[in-house]
Amino acid sequence: MTPALSISHLRKVYRSGTVAVEDLSLTIPEGEFFGFLGPNGAGKSTTIHCITGVAEPSSGKIEIFGIDAVKNYREARRLVGLCPQEFNVDPFANARQIVDWMGGYFGMGARERKERIDYLIERFDLIPHQKKQFRELSGGLKRRVVLARALINDPKLIILDEPTAGVDVELRRVLWRYLTEINKDGRTILLTSHYLEEVERLCRHVAIVSKGRVVREGTKDEIAGSPGGLENAYLIATGAEPDHVAGQ
Amino acid sequence: MWRGNKMSQTMGINWIGLYTMVRREASRMARIPIQAFIAPWISALLFIFIFGSVVGGRISQIGGHRYLEFVLPGVLMLNIVNAAFIQASTAIYFSRFIKFVEEMLVAPLSYVEMIIGSLSVVVLRATVTGIGILLMGIGFGATHIESWPMFLFWIVSVSTVFGLLGLIVGLWSKSFEQLNMPVVFLLTPLSMVGGVFNTIEMLPAKLQWLAYANPFFYFINGIRGAMIGFDEAPQGLGIGLTLGLLAVLGVTAWRLYAIGYGLRE
Repeated sequence: MTPALSISHLRKVYRSGTVAVEDLSLTIPEGEFFGFLGPNGAGKSTTIHCITGVAEPSSGKIEIFGIDAVKNYREARRLVGLCPQEFNVDPFANARQIVDWMGGYFGMGARERKERIDYLIERFDLIPHQKKQFRELSGGLKRRVVLARALINDPKLIILDEPTAGVDVELRRVLWRYLTEINKDGRTILLTSHYLEEVERLCRHVAIVSKGRVVREGTKDEIAGSPGGLENAYLIATGAEPDHVAGQ
Repeated sequence: MWRGNKMSQTMGINWIGLYTMVRREASRMARIPIQAFIAPWISALLFIFIFGSVVGGRISQIGGHRYLEFVLPGVLMLNIVNAAFIQASTAIYFSRFIKFVEEMLVAPLSYVEMIIGSLSVVVLRATVTGIGILLMGIGFGATHIESWPMFLFWIVSVSTVFGLLGLIVGLWSKSFEQLNMPVVFLLTPLSMVGGVFNTIEMLPAKLQWLAYANPFFYFINGIRGAMIGFDEAPQGLGIGLTLGLLAVLGVTAWRLYAIGYGLRE
């Protein structure tokens, strides 16, 4: 079966000379809920940028459902939805416009777009806020808009780069429920998060990245099942000192 | 089950994506009507007043045309150039600055579609600006149109040239200061000495070659020919130069998009 995402020896060196991703390989089967963990600067966001076309890989190969994400980028992008870490949104546009324009870029017709936007706006409790300019929204509402935008094209592969950073408990639970539901429906999800309890709750498979390489990968049960749980496994894999060592 | 969005394509072109780019920029323009349209129209009205009533009466006719008739096509062309350059450069720069250009980068849009989408709005803004000034000129009895096809050719082609230049500058700029540099040091000086206010024979003989070496002269000469039927150089020369610039700038812009210059990390 063709994997949803296959990354082979990805390397990304920025123009400044900074090596953001050293040599990263990863395979995510279709239908997986995949946790992509690592400290700040480990190369998670850069890897996501390379998958989605925001950054150009220096070398290596990325395939999305078997389609080369660089050579056949248009076909590959059609299958992906990205919720980025930063709010990369026109602050003067309203919530509905932002989601609508994204649907338009994906070639969705007016009727299909309207149905999908109505659904997402309702699903993320944005009805009273849909005509407000993005800059007028609170942090949590902004996050909802960006999530709705990522899902407008009903993507097969959903990439969420710290989607719950800075959001309240209510939205976090709304989002968890929704992600669980669409994952059951067959969507593949790649999630980065610094909240390990979130990863433990949602993901079935985990990869830990450090200094631009995957340093540990396995099922959540394998990794979280080791002494000290996921947090200890994470700290050991990334070269930090686990509590029981630091406390000695 | 994944239903999948049905991306509408004809001849391999994402038409809805293209149209969305136009809708989006049109919506941005609608947020700044004073900057986009009112300012150039007021400036043209002032030119009509100054060159029609104040200065024009003291200057003899040029090629059988009143001075205001002679000047107005050049004023119209200056506004088209400004509208095209500012629309293209600020749109791409602002989208890079705020990072919402990433919305297009992650979407199934080709580089050519991205460029055509941006240029469509450029041409729209320049055409509305130009037609507005033309209507004011006609309303004040200051101009007329000798050839509509040539008038439209000059508006569309010149706005596309400066739209492409604006895209390139918008990709290159790293600050608002850099974004304004070409306007201050290139577009304004060249347009002012490109024959808006004078014929070439009014210049000292030793300086006339400068006008012939200035591309703005051919743009202004072209639209003046289309509007009042007065020209100082063969139209074919201007058309050839404009098409050449379109080709060079078009390939340059496409190449920059393809390598992700200023767009992708």
